Amino acid sequence: MNRQISVYTDQLTRRFGKFVAVDGVSISVYRGEIFGFLGANGAGKTTLIRMLCGLLKPSGGEGSVAGFDIKEKSEQIKKRIGYMSQRFSLYADLTVTENIHFYGAIYGLAKEEIRQREEELVSQVGLDPYMNQMTKDLPLGIKQRLALGCAMLHNPPILFLDEPTSGVDPQARRGFWNLLYETVQTGKTIFVTTHYMDEAEYCHRVSIMDQGKIIEMGSPSQLKESHKKSTIQDVFIALVGGEKTDQKE
Amino acid sequence: MQQILAMIRKEFKQIFRDIPMMAIIFIVPIIQLFVLAFAITVDVKQIKLLISDFDDSRASREIIRAFGNTDRFKIVGYTHDLNCVRGNFQEWKAQMALIIPPDFSKKMARNLHPQVQISIDGVDGNTAGVALGYAQGILSQFGTEFLIQPQYRSRLKDVHLVTMVERMWYNPDLSSEQYMVPGIAVVLLTILPMMLSAMSLVREKEIGTLEQLMVTPLKKHQLLLGKLIPFLILSFIELALLIAIAMPVFNISMNGSFFLLAVLAFFYLFTTLGLGIFISTVTQTQQQAMFFAWFIMVFMILMSGFFIPIENMPQLLQKLTYLNPMRYFMYIMRDIFQKGSSIRFLYKDAVPMTIYGLLIFSFSVIKFQKRVG
Ligand SMILES: Nc1ncnc2c1ncn2[C@@H]1O[C@H](COP(=O)(O)OP(=O)(O)O)[C@@H](O)[C@H]1O
Ligand SMILES: [Mg+2]
Repeated sequence: MNRQISVYTDQLTRRFGKFVAVDGVSISVYRGEIFGFLGANGAGKTTLIRMLCGLLKPSGGEGSVAGFDIKEKSEQIKKRIGYMSQRFSLYADLTVTENIHFYGAIYGLAKEEIRQREEELVSQVGLDPYMNQMTKDLPLGIKQRLALGCAMLHNPPILFLDEPTSGVDPQARRGFWNLLYETVQTGKTIFVTTHYMDEAEYCHRVSIMDQGKIIEMGSPSQLKESHKKSTIQDVFIALVGGEKTDQKE
Repeated sequence: MQQILAMIRKEFKQIFRDIPMMAIIFIVPIIQLFVLAFAITVDVKQIKLLISDFDDSRASREIIRAFGNTDRFKIVGYTHDLNCVRGNFQEWKAQMALIIPPDFSKKMARNLHPQVQISIDGVDGNTAGVALGYAQGILSQFGTEFLIQPQYRSRLKDVHLVTMVERMWYNPDLSSEQYMVPGIAVVLLTILPMMLSAMSLVREKEIGTLEQLMVTPLKKHQLLLGKLIPFLILSFIELALLIAIAMPVFNISMNGSFFLLAVLAFFYLFTTLGLGIFISTVTQTQQQAMFFAWFIMVFMILMSGFFIPIENMPQLLQKLTYLNPMRYFMYIMRDIFQKGSSIRFLYKDAVPMTIYGLLIFSFSVIKFQKRVG
């Protein structure tokens, strides 16, 4: 694997008042990796991603994305990342096409480019039958694909996906992960958070987060081996405690 | 540029697809116009008058007829019981009482300073003052006519009667609509842009689309221009609509320049759009934003001279109104409509208004951050 660093943090910290939401996180994510962040609700995953995307100011520590400092150069970073927020946040009252064209224009793509990217993405992400539907009428799984498509319109080298599959059925989730695999094949880096344990198995590397701290990091097979468990779910329970996992699946 | 256009196009699509929003933008202001223009009438007409005639003479009946002949007064009853006057005032059945004492005509015949008593409900001070003026007019007219009757002519030798010819400038009919409608336009240009911009930004914050926009390279000024230009355009459409409806319906005259009006309205919109942005930076939900906007609005409107003329306020409040940008635009709007004032007369209000606008706008733009927390 190419060892070029896409995302780097050193003791990155964020406090809300006295509460420490992200506590001294140090990671390196390499180009072409799917890097998973595993943690229960409230572990601090979203806060970490928001700092990396320039949406929140860190309270301490360092970080860089695509080689740019997250405190100083957040506007440079924004050109080079795609972001899918935890909540679906495209315009519900625009059609699929309108959303794509809107974001294309916002990213400064030329009309021709937008049309070309639209075509590529639509077939890649599988949106063909939905193009003229109002976004609010789409099934959740399709919405998430559309959100991924919009986040990749400008062909960013790094994607931040915050719980991109929450709330959809296992089949749709598998489809979505296949999409992520195809995407990293093209040399992109994917930083993804989840609270589904089975999804962690698909990542190249995962880090387990609890109460703002990273308590374990490594490839899924390494983690299972060192903790002598057969699944990541068991590793997680051993580390964090069973009551914190999401047992819906 | 492309980004700003995309924002504007998106904003208009969203507005036109949102039926309740369309209603709020286009129907509510028109209803407001009619309600406000009809309800807040400052014309003093049909003052409810109670008569207490203890004299019951030709002279006293003539006075009563004079009061009955004008639509300023409406005689609501006759009584010889003075306690009844108080009762009628308390039950809002009468606003004014005319009491003619028993010796009135006798004193008049002997030239002994005949007196009548006017009692008036002073709760609504404005109306009371105007009503009193009307009553004085009627009584002095009566006195004059009485004196020039042939049998009293002899006494007139040394009396020079001064008659007053009134001419009310700028608003000859004392029409309240002529005064209120420009005020309503100011209120509209305050509420609409502030509400729309605040609500639209906070709504995007609430549903998360603003966060999505903030991770794009879209610049802050592009985002805000894209948001505000549609509301600027809508505000002007509304203003034009309001004037177009009000002028024929209420028979309003516009004596000034529409161009000047538009230019000054543009500068005023910096204030109200700026306040909208400001509200969006300090609130998290549409409800909070709505509450905050109402709060600001009530203060601005009360202190603008819209309902209560600033000249009638206590000194301290009068001074405080100088802090209210709406105050200046209220003067400007009324002056342009009624007096046709040119910028030569309006700059005293236009300059502070514009300074406020630019200050509020820049402060809000600086406060607006491309971050979530
Ligand atoms: N803006 C904020 N102000 C105060 N506390 C916050 C804020 N954002 C997040 N938190 C707190 O930080 C903690 C971590 O939240 P978050 O990063 O959303 O966790 P996760 O995404 O892992 O579920 C939570 O306890 C949350 O309540
Ligand atoms: Mg989260």
